[in-house]
Amino acid sequence: MRDFDRRAFLALAGMSALGASALLSGCGGGSGSGIALRYAWWGNTVRQQNYERALQQFQEANPGITVDPEFAEYTAFQERMTTQMAARNVADIFWIASPQVMTYQAAGLYRPLSDIPTLDLSDYSEADIAAFSLNGELLTMPHGVFVPVVRYNETFLEEDGAELPGEDWNWDQLSEFLIDYAANAPEGRTGASYTPDQDMAFEAWLRQRGQDLWTAEGTVGFDAEALGDWFEWWRVLLDRGAVLSLGEQEGMQPDFADIGERVLVNFGSSNHIIDEAAMFPDWRYRLRSVPVAPDAADGHRFTYYPRLAVYQGIDDEKLEAAGRLIDYNVNNADFLRTVGLTMGAPPNPRLLQEAYDFASEDETEMLAVVEADRAEEQRPRYEAPPGTGTWREALSRASETIALGDSSVSAVAESLIAEIQAGIDQAA
Amino acid sequence: MATAVKSRRSGPDAPERGRPARPVSPERRQGRAAYVFLTPWLLGLCLVTAVPLGASLYLAFTDYNILSTPNFTGLDNFERMLGDERFWAACAVTARYVFVSVPLQLVFALLLAVALDRGLRGLAFYRGGFYLPSLLGSSVAIAILWRELFGHDGLVNDALAFVGIEGQSWLQNPSTALSTLIVLNVWTFGSPMVIFLAGLRQIPEQYYEAARVDGASRLRQFWHITVPILTPIIFFNLILQTIGAFQTFTQAHVISGGTGGPVDSTLFYTLYVYQQGFRDFDMGYASALAWVLLLVIGAVTAVHFVLSKYWVFYGDD
Amino acid sequence: MIDAAPLADAGARRRRRRRPPTALLKHGALLLFLSLMVYPLVWMVVSAFKPAHLILTDPGLIPAEVTFENFQEGWYALNRPFSLFFVNSLVVTVGSILGNLFSCSLAAYALARLEFRTRRLFFAITLVSVMLPMHVLIIPQYIFFSQLGWVDTYLPLLIPKLLATDAFFVFLMVQFIRGIPRDLDRAAAIDGAGPFRIFWYVVFPLMRPALVTTTIFTFIWTWNDFFTPLIYLTSTDMYTVPVALSSMVSAESQQGIGMLFAMSLLSLLPVILFFVFAQRYLIRGMVTSGLK
Repeated sequence: MRDFDRRAFLALAGMSALGASALLSGCGGGSGSGIALRYAWWGNTVRQQNYERALQQFQEANPGITVDPEFAEYTAFQERMTTQMAARNVADIFWIASPQVMTYQAAGLYRPLSDIPTLDLSDYSEADIAAFSLNGELLTMPHGVFVPVVRYNETFLEEDGAELPGEDWNWDQLSEFLIDYAANAPEGRTGASYTPDQDMAFEAWLRQRGQDLWTAEGTVGFDAEALGDWFEWWRVLLDRGAVLSLGEQEGMQPDFADIGERVLVNFGSSNHIIDEAAMFPDWRYRLRSVPVAPDAADGHRFTYYPRLAVYQGIDDEKLEAAGRLIDYNVNNADFLRTVGLTMGAPPNPRLLQEAYDFASEDETEMLAVVEADRAEEQRPRYEAPPGTGTWREALSRASETIALGDSSVSAVAESLIAEIQAGIDQAA
Repeated sequence: MATAVKSRRSGPDAPERGRPARPVSPERRQGRAAYVFLTPWLLGLCLVTAVPLGASLYLAFTDYNILSTPNFTGLDNFERMLGDERFWAACAVTARYVFVSVPLQLVFALLLAVALDRGLRGLAFYRGGFYLPSLLGSSVAIAILWRELFGHDGLVNDALAFVGIEGQSWLQNPSTALSTLIVLNVWTFGSPMVIFLAGLRQIPEQYYEAARVDGASRLRQFWHITVPILTPIIFFNLILQTIGAFQTFTQAHVISGGTGGPVDSTLFYTLYVYQQGFRDFDMGYASALAWVLLLVIGAVTAVHFVLSKYWVFYGDD
Repeated sequence: MIDAAPLADAGARRRRRRRPPTALLKHGALLLFLSLMVYPLVWMVVSAFKPAHLILTDPGLIPAEVTFENFQEGWYALNRPFSLFFVNSLVVTVGSILGNLFSCSLAAYALARLEFRTRRLFFAITLVSVMLPMHVLIIPQYIFFSQLGWVDTYLPLLIPKLLATDAFFVFLMVQFIRGIPRDLDRAAAIDGAGPFRIFWYVVFPLMRPALVTTTIFTFIWTWNDFFTPLIYLTSTDMYTVPVALSSMVSAESQQGIGMLFAMSLLSLLPVILFFVFAQRYLIRGMVTSGLK
């Protein structure tokens, strides 16, 4: 290695330096004076545009603070975030993908929020704050609220002369209705898509039985019987042709754009109506709470919060600015107006009321369902523990196995629970 | 380790051996020059390649969840593989894919390269056309395209319906899903084709002229001129396409949405590595998986190199 | 056609059969095959001009309605003209090509032609470095570049190319150089040329097909590369085309298909043009490079 030719080496170094300076000059990191915050979020191009505009508004309202937006599509966002976490080079404020909420918590990546003076929490009740907290500490701030819903195409319902069971429906009634609807529906239409892996609907099913997805201790909160019954509920629909087959819907998690004209109802999260109803502007979509089992456990209703957080390693002098930005994000009506309601109803009760003023028909539908569910008493809900990053994929795979009909429902349920538990043990 | 230079079958040093030694032997001079030529490569090796390579090797023996510091756990990760059903599923999928798609793709690429080599008008047009699919092979749009072809309402089923056969979703049937990915790989045969084309350009036209004078048929010319001279390039394509096939990721990721479904029937090995590392945050296990793959690819490549002595002919021999 | 040829003059018939009909047959077969191969692409092109909501519901090749709205929408989908991403991609791509041509050819020449002790070891290392899946390398690499403060610059994308880390091309060039007869080097050596002059005046010009191939592939792979730019480039203004494209389809909703197709199409254009242009140089190759 002593034989490096000096000239060649110098030439190379020179070239590199030249290239480096040319490239670096192109991109200054933030502003010269004042405070620069990095804000990372995910979504599609519409959301990208809306949030960039909202962040611009924030900068205009807060001279001295600049925001460097870091945007990516959901999967890409997680890949980039994971890498940044490993290198401890993370955006100051970031959205948290739901499977990672507790994983980040366990790794101590959140800066607690309760002592940031610029974040105003006065709009929230104590119960709200408790529900937002993880292990009793306010580490993240929800910037949306989802509840599980059944969405149905009212236009289809009218066209086909069918009538949903009453508002106090249960799972059996829905099942019978779907089978009946599919049998009489016009060619090319059926009851629903095959989505036993819709996690919010599944969680509702569990909580009505007094079980949970996850326990406070970070273990699996449901048993093979509850899971097996869930699969069985879907298998009956599949056998009776009341839902699309795996082939017809091209796999699990079908695109609504693709199946929207073939199904009457859809399980999902309350916020999906905003993007998905827009795909078929000619039809009217309505929301309903999911069916409730006749002997449902108390407090089974629940709300899911998409969350954002401040990175633990943030510079102290940036903290106040970060608080200001989060405050603007979750408490400001102008911000909400700009970004719209794609992340669900606002968690801030005051904003929820204000949102009705500018909400579209679909959005109003969503706000009403969320408001109704939030008014009910809810027993606590726990986030997914570390090691469960792929539990939804595993649930999808199990659902595929059920649809293929090669294995018994109970065997699939048991092996799925074992797989999820193994992941948790591995991470512990 | 690698002092075996002299044992190579031939080399320029062979005829020089008898000459009297000069003050600076050409070999030393060459050695010195070699390091100059290799300066960028050595820098890249030390700075960009070696450290991550070493890091991943170390991580293979640890429990590392990306967010906290790695814990040394010895051979735990490797033991875990033995009982990991999805690991074995991934191995089976990948092996089937490598053994079917690589030969198919290479034969395809070679035949088309020969057809598009010379003696026809509009070669640029054809080459461009046949290369087009490769440009798109890893794009996000391919998932939608493939569904349009092999989906439930896809073109293949339309064609089958025409002859009275009822189709299915080829992508959602676990026993056919992998085949659609093999088709995708063969469809994107452009890269090896271009390399073959480049290799064909290295064959002097005179060889063919001489053969034609001798009255050799096109087939004979192909077997006795084209193929032998092209063997280093065939070998290159074989090695690299094999390695590439073992590492197939993007296409599987795009088409199954990252799941490897239906029911793990397209769970390629690197897709599983990715799931473990980036989804389950189990980078220790992912690194162990990666190194096992490296060993397997290394072994297969070594076999290729040993066998190459019997069928690859170099101009410098 | 062939049957209609006059039987009288066997020589003339042979000549005729040799020229046009075989060529015609060849063209026919190639065209048929080609149309099969590019059908999906044609579908994509057509779809790009359809209204977005009709792409999946009306998948025929003849659009009921032609529109440019996918292009208009897609061009400004990320709040800035798409041309910005083209320029970014171009900077990265051209830089990568220069880097690869420079560094890989040097390394390949040394590995293929020069005799030194660690040669086989180095060659093995080159191969091994393409065998490990990138997903376990990307985090250590990122940590390294992040500590240099190079995140959100193009340096992590370009510097590795300048340092011959694309082992694929090193190996490719080694194989090509080994296909060049050694007599040429020896003749030059007898004339007193050292390794540098042999490389520059003898081997480098003869490597032309390999260099063109490297250029083509580097262009295409870099232009299409998604993961590396995604990880390293965080601000939207720095995005390359594939990262920008990926933002158009979100995992949560498939709304952007129209835009995605339209912009994918536009992003393919430079690559296609480049390919058609570059492959001409493949055609020349050896014939004009001085070897008789």
